[in-house]
Amino acid sequence: MAQEYGTNGVSRRTMLKGSAGLAATAASLGIVPLRAARADAAALNMWWWGEQELPGLQAFVDDSVKSYTAAAVKPMLQDTNVVISQFQTAAAAGKAPDIQYLWNGIYHMESVWLGYLQPLDGLVSDEVVKASNPTLLSHYGGHVYRLGWYPQPMTWSYNKDVFEKAGLDPENPPKTWDDFLAACDKVKTKGIAPVGGGIQDGYWGEWYFGHGLSQNIDSTGEAIDLFTGVRDFKDPKYHEHWVRLEELKKHDFLNPDMSSLELYPGIDLIVSGKIAMGVSVGARLPDDSKKSNDRVGTMVMPVYGKGKMAGKPILDAQGLGISKDAKDPKAAAAFLEYLNSPERLKVFWDKTHWLPTNSNFDTSVISDPAVKKMWHDYGQSENIPYVSNVVPGQFYDNAMVPAAQQVVQGKITGEQAGELAAKIAKDWRDFNPDMVDHYKQWAKDLA
Amino acid sequence: MAEASRLVVPREPRLKPDRALKHGVLLLASFLALVPTIFMVVTALKSADEYTTNKVGFPQVWVFDNFRTVLFDSPFFAWMANSLILAAGSVVLSTAVSCLGAYAIARMRFPGRSLLFSLSTALMAVPPVVMIVPLFVLYTQLDLISTYQGAILIYAGLITPFSVYLLTTFFRTLPRELFEAARIDGAGDLLILWKIVLPLSLPALLTLVVVNALYVWNDLIIAIIFLQDDSKRTLMAGISVFQGRYDNQIPLTMAGMVIASAPMIILYVAFQKYFIQGLMAGAVK
Amino acid sequence: MNPTARFTPYLYILPLLALLGFVFGYPLVRIFEFSFKQVRGINGPWIGFRNYELILGQDLFWQSVAHNLLLLIAVPAMVGWSLLVSIVLYERVKGWKLYRILLFVPYILAIPIIAVVMKKMFQFSGPVNDALNWLGLDFLALDWIGSSDVALWTVMLMIIWRESALGIILFLARLLNLDESLIEAARLDGANWWQRVRYVILPQMKVVIEFYIVVSVITMLSSVFSYVYIMGGGRGGPGTSTMVLELYIFSALVKISLPGVASAVSVLLFLVSLLLIIPLFAVRRRANEEEVGG
Repeated sequence: MAQEYGTNGVSRRTMLKGSAGLAATAASLGIVPLRAARADAAALNMWWWGEQELPGLQAFVDDSVKSYTAAAVKPMLQDTNVVISQFQTAAAAGKAPDIQYLWNGIYHMESVWLGYLQPLDGLVSDEVVKASNPTLLSHYGGHVYRLGWYPQPMTWSYNKDVFEKAGLDPENPPKTWDDFLAACDKVKTKGIAPVGGGIQDGYWGEWYFGHGLSQNIDSTGEAIDLFTGVRDFKDPKYHEHWVRLEELKKHDFLNPDMSSLELYPGIDLIVSGKIAMGVSVGARLPDDSKKSNDRVGTMVMPVYGKGKMAGKPILDAQGLGISKDAKDPKAAAAFLEYLNSPERLKVFWDKTHWLPTNSNFDTSVISDPAVKKMWHDYGQSENIPYVSNVVPGQFYDNAMVPAAQQVVQGKITGEQAGELAAKIAKDWRDFNPDMVDHYKQWAKDLA
Repeated sequence: MAEASRLVVPREPRLKPDRALKHGVLLLASFLALVPTIFMVVTALKSADEYTTNKVGFPQVWVFDNFRTVLFDSPFFAWMANSLILAAGSVVLSTAVSCLGAYAIARMRFPGRSLLFSLSTALMAVPPVVMIVPLFVLYTQLDLISTYQGAILIYAGLITPFSVYLLTTFFRTLPRELFEAARIDGAGDLLILWKIVLPLSLPALLTLVVVNALYVWNDLIIAIIFLQDDSKRTLMAGISVFQGRYDNQIPLTMAGMVIASAPMIILYVAFQKYFIQGLMAGAVK
Repeated sequence: MNPTARFTPYLYILPLLALLGFVFGYPLVRIFEFSFKQVRGINGPWIGFRNYELILGQDLFWQSVAHNLLLLIAVPAMVGWSLLVSIVLYERVKGWKLYRILLFVPYILAIPIIAVVMKKMFQFSGPVNDALNWLGLDFLALDWIGSSDVALWTVMLMIIWRESALGIILFLARLLNLDESLIEAARLDGANWWQRVRYVILPQMKVVIEFYIVVSVITMLSSVFSYVYIMGGGRGGPGTSTMVLELYIFSALVKISLPGVASAVSVLLFLVSLLLIIPLFAVRRRANEEEVGG
């Protein structure tokens, strides 16, 4: 807990003095702030995110900056809301940072299309790029635009104790949808909510969409077609996941406070045994495993769909890229390579208790068998991309999340959710005509 | 007979039910007014485990760890420091600008005087959100995002129309003789403003400081957009981050809220009169 | 008059003009400009009225407008409640000064703090519902935060809760300035409490009530961001049931990177606010006159 805001040794008082001192300096320097730079070393600006979802990351960044001697790196932790808009606006003004944290898929692809990011092939050595596992969604037009930093296996969690109580095999979670419904029935008779979590802040809806839509598509390109208008959400297989969610609601399998609970408190309910199964994320497993004495298991979403991607584990990864405004791209690339060195990878594990995506990371340090198994299933075996990453922002806020929230409330049917999705996809095309062609090209790349 | 008793005019009898009803209304209103604060404090004293079973009642065991975590393991002080810097900076800047401007509008003659006053006052009705798009773009181009001076400039601008309005109306009430006497003694405008007008305007200035500082302290939207660097985060922006990060630990969140509201509550208890007066005058905010 | 005196006023108003010009003048001009462009980042091509076409044809925009308008329902509730409490306070029962101090507490708490606390209180399995169930009022234990049908009303409840405090203090201040002899005379004439309120007190409060109404209407249109941002999970949820215009502009700028669209909505909101300037001026003038004159 003390690491949450991990400034690693810098006390609150120092920060206080620092802030005041900064203000005084800023005031005395006048309107335009100067950029401090070491006389001999290159200066790199790095805007990043992630302490919010992976406590300890700040400690890692601070430590890496301190031990890197080839350049003076100035990191800035961004607020979740503005990671993209702040970068894009700065890039449009020609003032983007040298290194930028990039969520996967559309979250940085848009910046690629707008010309804000540089291809990394040519700057960073090929083997480092490959070892870092940037994932499929960082590729466009034959180039790679990100280095992978840390993975986010998109998982479903389940509580083994609850399974046992309900007479289910704790080592064999349900794999088909019918098995799943039967399991839910059994859990419900014990008075425990079979499935759910917290959807008030919306992320549950995003994660569910990523799991659910994948089941009925053969490639990520097919998902992108839904936005360019080539395919339609009104087609039953593309909104079946919402129909299935409606089914869970109708059977009363969802926890009753799901609508007013936020994501993480919802997952906590799985860990504490008040809900049996639900969507979760890999980075939580080390803590959840410890807290529950290894009674939290990882499963893939039970299958109802007929697409090629159904039933496969989903792996997402967060990454770092270099902007077009970088004055010395090679220096920026060198720092990124440094972050991927074996020594740094070990420090990453030490600070965050989570693994980096780099395949050179020595996984033997993982002592928790549950985490080991998860990484084996998700990171080292066949996996599929996380399709929620191709969803445009407008669709995210106006359809993907509200649809799931309203189905969970029982306010709309799965089919109506499909209609809402189709409408918002059209809205997106109308509001962003300059992006549609890029999306079409991307769909071809990912078909 | 009725005539006679009417002449005696008894005072309205203090009927018990009547008084009880009044107290009842006031007690209910006070209870409603205080219940969130009470909940906040009571919950902050519970352990996370206790809260899950006992949400409404008093804590069985008083736990102070939550406060410790908030005070020492989270950046609340840094956030408050940032809010303080912004509030102080914008209030100082705005007050200086407004005093000069209001003095000219109230006491000097120049073409466009009443137009300027009307325009400035009209700006009080313009929603601040309307300014953010162009300012965000401009600030990005000028490297002013996540700078104290950039945010102070915006806040100062937003609170100035009200300041000008209040000061102008106040200055206008000062007697002419005061100025005439001073001028006869050879004093220039600046001296008059500094040595005579401002000291007399202390109540108005105090009101201004209270209302404006509160506005900047309480603001959320400007803080989120223009101070994106984690180290410049204000208290309000920090609160929205804090509650998102710890949304599964309600007592801890409540402890954070208690710490965050402490400055205001302390000031309120100490300076009620100015608060109430000031906020009444600043109602548009 | 010495010759430099002619320039002095301009020197005094120069900082004011500069500051207001920068913070208000420049943006107000630019939102019009941006609203006619397809802006990506910092600029873009002219597209005429397309942004307006898009937003006026978009469900989400009209939902936001509708929600802002719905919030106006809070105003009569606030006025009614504030009047009731302030008039009872005015009776000056024993301890009224203490009540007054307590009743103003909601207004001194910052909105984000209030929103965070209330969000936890009103969770579906939270204390408010627990208490309601315990009292046997199960039917009232709604999903305050999570239901699209209820969430906006919960926000309204919070707004009423906080803004009424201001009303109470404003109205009480006016009441304390009233001419007591009129009320006393009415009582001697046999008027009961309600009649005294209706025929003697309220007419004398017309000005301050109007002032409060105008100020509250302006608030509903342009100062509810903090409530909604925290309550609705930052995106006007659940669903889109708490989306309001301020949040729409914020999201369009920050979340979906469409500054042109955000500017178009800003223009519309600005034009609406202009309509409120006239009543604002009128009530402020009358309130001032009343303070000075009576």
